[in-house]
Amino acid sequence: MGELRTMMQMLKMSFLTRLEYRVDTLVATTAVFVRESMNIIVIYLALLKFDKINDWNVDEMLFLFSILFVTYAFVVSIFADLRHFSDMIRGGRFDRLVIRPRGLLIQLILNNADLMASAGHGTLGIILFIVSAGRVGIVWNATTIMYYVGAIIGGILIQGGMFIFFSSLCFYFVELESVREILYWNMRKFAGYPISIYSKLIQGLMIYVVPFAFVNYFPAQYLLRKPDMANYNELYMYIAPLVGVVVYALAYVFWRISVKRYTSTGN
Amino acid sequence: MRTYVEFAIKKFQNKMAYRLEFFMGIVNTIITIVVYLCIYKALYEGKAEVDGISYAMTATSFVISLGLSNAFHFNEMFIQDKIHDGSITNEFLKPVNFVFRLLWENIGEGLFRVVFNFLPAVVFACFYTKLCAPYSMGNFIIMLISVALGYLVLWLLSLIIQVLSFWLFSVWGIMTIKNVIVNILSGVFLPLWFMPDIIKKIIVFTPFESIYFTPIRIYLGEVTGMEMLSKLSLQLMWIGILGGMAGVLWSKGVKKLVVQGG
Amino acid sequence: MENIIEVKNIKRYYKIAKEEKGFWASLKSLVNKKYEIKKAVDDISFEIKKGEITGFIGKNGAGKSTTIKMLSGILYPDSGTVKIDGYIPYKQRKQYVKNIGVVFGQKSQLHWDLPLIESFELMKYIYKIPKKVYEENLKKFVELLDMEDFINQPVRQLSLGQRMRGDIVAALLHSPKLVFLDEPTIGLDVVAKEKIREFIKYMNKNEQTTIIFTTHDMQDIEKVCERLIIIDQGKKVYDGTIAEIKNKYSNIKNIEVMYEDGSKEMKTFDINKIPMNQVMEKLFTEESIKDISICEPEIDGIIRDIYEGKIELNADTKGE
Repeated sequence: MGELRTMMQMLKMSFLTRLEYRVDTLVATTAVFVRESMNIIVIYLALLKFDKINDWNVDEMLFLFSILFVTYAFVVSIFADLRHFSDMIRGGRFDRLVIRPRGLLIQLILNNADLMASAGHGTLGIILFIVSAGRVGIVWNATTIMYYVGAIIGGILIQGGMFIFFSSLCFYFVELESVREILYWNMRKFAGYPISIYSKLIQGLMIYVVPFAFVNYFPAQYLLRKPDMANYNELYMYIAPLVGVVVYALAYVFWRISVKRYTSTGN
Repeated sequence: MRTYVEFAIKKFQNKMAYRLEFFMGIVNTIITIVVYLCIYKALYEGKAEVDGISYAMTATSFVISLGLSNAFHFNEMFIQDKIHDGSITNEFLKPVNFVFRLLWENIGEGLFRVVFNFLPAVVFACFYTKLCAPYSMGNFIIMLISVALGYLVLWLLSLIIQVLSFWLFSVWGIMTIKNVIVNILSGVFLPLWFMPDIIKKIIVFTPFESIYFTPIRIYLGEVTGMEMLSKLSLQLMWIGILGGMAGVLWSKGVKKLVVQGG
Repeated sequence: MENIIEVKNIKRYYKIAKEEKGFWASLKSLVNKKYEIKKAVDDISFEIKKGEITGFIGKNGAGKSTTIKMLSGILYPDSGTVKIDGYIPYKQRKQYVKNIGVVFGQKSQLHWDLPLIESFELMKYIYKIPKKVYEENLKKFVELLDMEDFINQPVRQLSLGQRMRGDIVAALLHSPKLVFLDEPTIGLDVVAKEKIREFIKYMNKNEQTTIIFTTHDMQDIEKVCERLIIIDQGKKVYDGTIAEIKNKYSNIKNIEVMYEDGSKEMKTFDINKIPMNQVMEKLFTEESIKDISICEPEIDGIIRDIYEGKIELNADTKGE
């Protein structure tokens, strides 16, 4: 239970820090919200004119986006410290964690929460969900609700796993931060839309390499059953929540190996 | 001597970092182009034209406006930073007009980005999809003038917000919001042809059309002959209005700074 | 007393990547790097007994930090063994670090924007310190280090000395048996330094805490430590008491000479080689001398001479 109490203290500290800079926090949260809304406004306006994109209407598109934002709101707070991990290594802050009697990853996860980004992404995700969820023809019963919750957790684990994987790479190449930004953020750009609009190569990347398709596209397909699902194995919809567990586990193994290498070879 | 060598090394390393940044910037632009062209393709669903606009025209419009918007990227927190660290007063002591210096620095940076970000992206896009050629040589030349005027409109909008930092502690939030509005209403991601009628009607009374859409329409030949001149004068009018606003705000801000000593 | 630390023949070499210039060269170096070998720690052995305070000194880059990192479990040695209180630090990390406290004088672990007490609370949870122990320790430390006035202030408003006291308390709340203090007095004024020295001595005397202390300030060493280990270029060059090292070099005399034009010069003599009467004779034949004063060697001077290679350390001066 020590973990829970540590987490509560860490959260309290993140929260108090934000309270120290109230105005700044409010402005930054709003700015994140507005910046992220842009793509949504654009696709909304586009669909007023064009009606559908690969048979997905406005509400279905908003639902697809909402999963991305809701999961990211958790990811950005849980894995906040992994975003600037190479700075942590260079600045010696990682060494500080090594001399504390706790698991390293758990400390990184508990440490720091980017509550501003979380609030910005989360608010947007919830608004999109509320606007769209009732209008896309999903029958919300025990099965679908359980599936939805599982898919959200899976989506958090997939993105968290990617964060862990890219952070582990920092043990080998400290300069890699900008490359990682590109990979993560650009794949996320693709993920806002039904992957069936892309070429086979990009679809392959989204399914097998940087598996964003399992964060929102396949879960949304399970709930919406759009015709473009015919291009993919039906199984993908059902395993979407499990993919998160697998990706996270693989990332964790890679992390363990990389940490060991760090202490044995140094920086 | 040693100090100067150190300076040179630092400068070099900075340049290096920037070059990696530029490389990443190109990758970013290319990926954004791919995403949006896929979206447009899906939206067109094989139709030859929507509202008289072909897919190739839409793609061309998108590539040009995205390329320009990336190229016209500069440090929009410059004045705020100068005010915060107090070095703005040093700038007034120099025998050059601070605002014009800023404009030329930004233009220099913009040209650099046109070469290293915009052109590679255009070359990529040409291989990736079919784009429209310029309507005529004349239109192409007028377009270049129109791009320069569009840049001034964009730059003045940014300057007005920057100058607000004489009064506000941080303009970062407002700047972000301004950029979102500019990106949407000037039609970077969704060309203005496809906007809902109500928005189209409003845009006529705003400077946003003058930024990217006017040069693009000239390039595509949607606007020709004398009409081009009237579009250019509309751009000039906005430059006049925004320039006037920026000028008034700037002199008030400077006065405030001098009176209150920062 | 039994040994708490046993270090045998540890070595730690670094590969340092050669910087390559130019865009393509640096891209290429991502794949194919060229390295130089730096011997950060080159065959060091020592033992430390329970309850000792040991000063650990050396120039910047001499290998102190690397040694501390190996002792605290952050780094593996390339070869050799470290055994501390029955643990191998880098292999049994979680169990081991419960028993140690580390203060990095240059890297605070306090939360910048929050009151000091919040960082202490966090330590309570991270180290799972029993409530009673935590409260007792906190009360005691706050009293000893005069921290009542600023414990509820945000860390960013504290002076460097106050912050350093905060960092020391944060590292000691879990009552570690062994404490590493890496430059805990760096940049502090005399009063703050003195307060910290007093506290270190108190902890050592009353709690039997074993302390390893690195510093560049010889006053710290003279006032606090019984034992001194000097490291240079990755090797141990001295290990013994401070009195001993002073005694060893009592034959070295520094004579300050003042000339008639007011200029001063410091001359160093070894009275085992030239007896004092000869030194004096030689000096008095120089006409322009107005005054002389003989200075006993200070620990600062001796250490400086060792660093600069003016004093050769031979086997019998190594204090072993």
